[in-house]
Amino acid sequence: MSTRGHSIEIDATECIGCVDCCKACPTKAIRVKDSLAVVIPELCIDCGACIRACRYHAARALTTPTSDLKRFKHTVALPSLTLYAQFGKDVLPAQVLQGLTEIGFDSHYDLSWMCEMLGGATDAYLAECEGPWPKISVTCPAIVRLVQIRYPDMIPNLLPIESARELAAKLLRKKLGMRLGLAEDEIGVFFITPCSAIVNSIVAPVGLEQSYLDGALSISEVYGALRQAIKKPGKESPAEEEVSPSGLLWAMAGGEIAGMRNRNTMTVRGVRDVEYVFDHIEAGKFQSVDFIEAYICPDGCVSGQLVVEGRYAAQRNIQQLCNRLGTQSHVKEEKVRSMLREHFFDLEGQVKARSIRPIARDLRAAIARKREEQAVLDRLPKKDCAACGAPTCATLAEDVMRGNASVEDCVFVKLATLEQKLEQKKEG
Amino acid sequence: MSEEVLYSEKFTIRGNDYERGGEVAARIKSVMKELGIAPDITRRLAIANFEAEMNVIMYADEAVLEFSVLPEAVRVVLEDRGQGIPNIELAMQEGWSTATPEMRRRGFGAGLGLPNIKRNSDEFAIESAVGVGTTLRYLIRLG
Repeated sequence: MSTRGHSIEIDATECIGCVDCCKACPTKAIRVKDSLAVVIPELCIDCGACIRACRYHAARALTTPTSDLKRFKHTVALPSLTLYAQFGKDVLPAQVLQGLTEIGFDSHYDLSWMCEMLGGATDAYLAECEGPWPKISVTCPAIVRLVQIRYPDMIPNLLPIESARELAAKLLRKKLGMRLGLAEDEIGVFFITPCSAIVNSIVAPVGLEQSYLDGALSISEVYGALRQAIKKPGKESPAEEEVSPSGLLWAMAGGEIAGMRNRNTMTVRGVRDVEYVFDHIEAGKFQSVDFIEAYICPDGCVSGQLVVEGRYAAQRNIQQLCNRLGTQSHVKEEKVRSMLREHFFDLEGQVKARSIRPIARDLRAAIARKREEQAVLDRLPKKDCAACGAPTCATLAEDVMRGNASVEDCVFVKLATLEQKLEQKKEG
Repeated sequence: MSEEVLYSEKFTIRGNDYERGGEVAARIKSVMKELGIAPDITRRLAIANFEAEMNVIMYADEAVLEFSVLPEAVRVVLEDRGQGIPNIELAMQEGWSTATPEMRRRGFGAGLGLPNIKRNSDEFAIESAVGVGTTLRYLIRLG
């Protein structure tokens, strides 16, 4: 698999060069040049805001081509819990999972138990952890990337516990390998993803040398075939698969902390609120909170860009499924604690800061560049019209300072220059 | 002796302007990040600035905050017009910022984050005149 910095692709034939994505990007990672949006890889956190904003469907997630499934002797579908919420309240997880084997996977795996276990592991970790507070969940990979880029001094706040999908894939690979007599690399584990951020977390994992997953297909890609398989008339419905109700809740914001014993927790939803809270954490606030689950999407995974069912209906579906399931649990706290002690849940590697190119090598030079930038900004209209291809006037000023744009890219500046020339001509 | 100021920026903070609370601290933090100042120094100054800014909003009429980058340090001078602090020693006591309701009723108002500002700076000075205002200076050394 090739290494790449990010997993968003702009289709040049569909992109008309409007500035919707460029304005929507929370990290200002998109510029529009010659009627085409271009992603700056080092700034992109794969949150998918551009995919959501694009009216022309030109911004897409680079999911795994289905032909990749053929590389393996045995393929497993590991669906995001959000997949269970896509087909209305009457379709049960067992039907969804069975459907996955009917559309081409050799087997399937339910993630809800692993989520419930992770909740227990988080509780146990927090009880013994000595800060810095608050700890922040690493479930949403876009959050981890945002911390790496924008809040590097908050890296020690990230909970050093791996995501449920990676842990499940790791476990599965071992179990299946033994059961089927296959080498671990003969088994392909594919995540069915609600978002672009997870796609990238597999290609370019953080806190992990290499992902235990082999790729990701989007919920919207598999939806059509899966729906047909589920709704095929005259089909026997499978035995009800036991899923964990408290694990299921992880499909939506608030779900991660809902099953935890520790109640000194908080949920933060959507990129603006996340920035607001993280800015405050950086300023020393929220230290009395033990744990924060944060999602770049407004309602957690059910509101990813690659889903079909709307986020309100999806949340209702999850809730109703939980009501139906009651409060069953098979997770033993003591077992989880011993697995934590044996480091099963640990993030294997370090999360490193992804610093953006410094503007200069030393402080004096940096200040000189900053002044140049300010001088450019003083000439700009501060309307943030984005007609130049940068999302704001301040971003254009920075691009000019870095030598990546010209102040004449601004239509207002250009107009003023032309008028001036005309004036001079008249006088001359 | 004249000192060399590499960069400075002044901000006006108005009392009771809760709507813009934290804006100045956030702006200075982003400037420091852009200049490539070490994250721990940026973080410490951000914490101090946030406390200082909120103090003005909660207790003073108006203030001017001057942020300066010196060759060896970052410095903030904050001069406010306001009620002043009658007993600085008391306001500087650790734990004062998390004052109990009884302590709050003793006339000082709760939660001057002064100890927190001091803790996060390498040099800290305060002067205050009751009925006139308070001047804070704090500095964090680079590297």
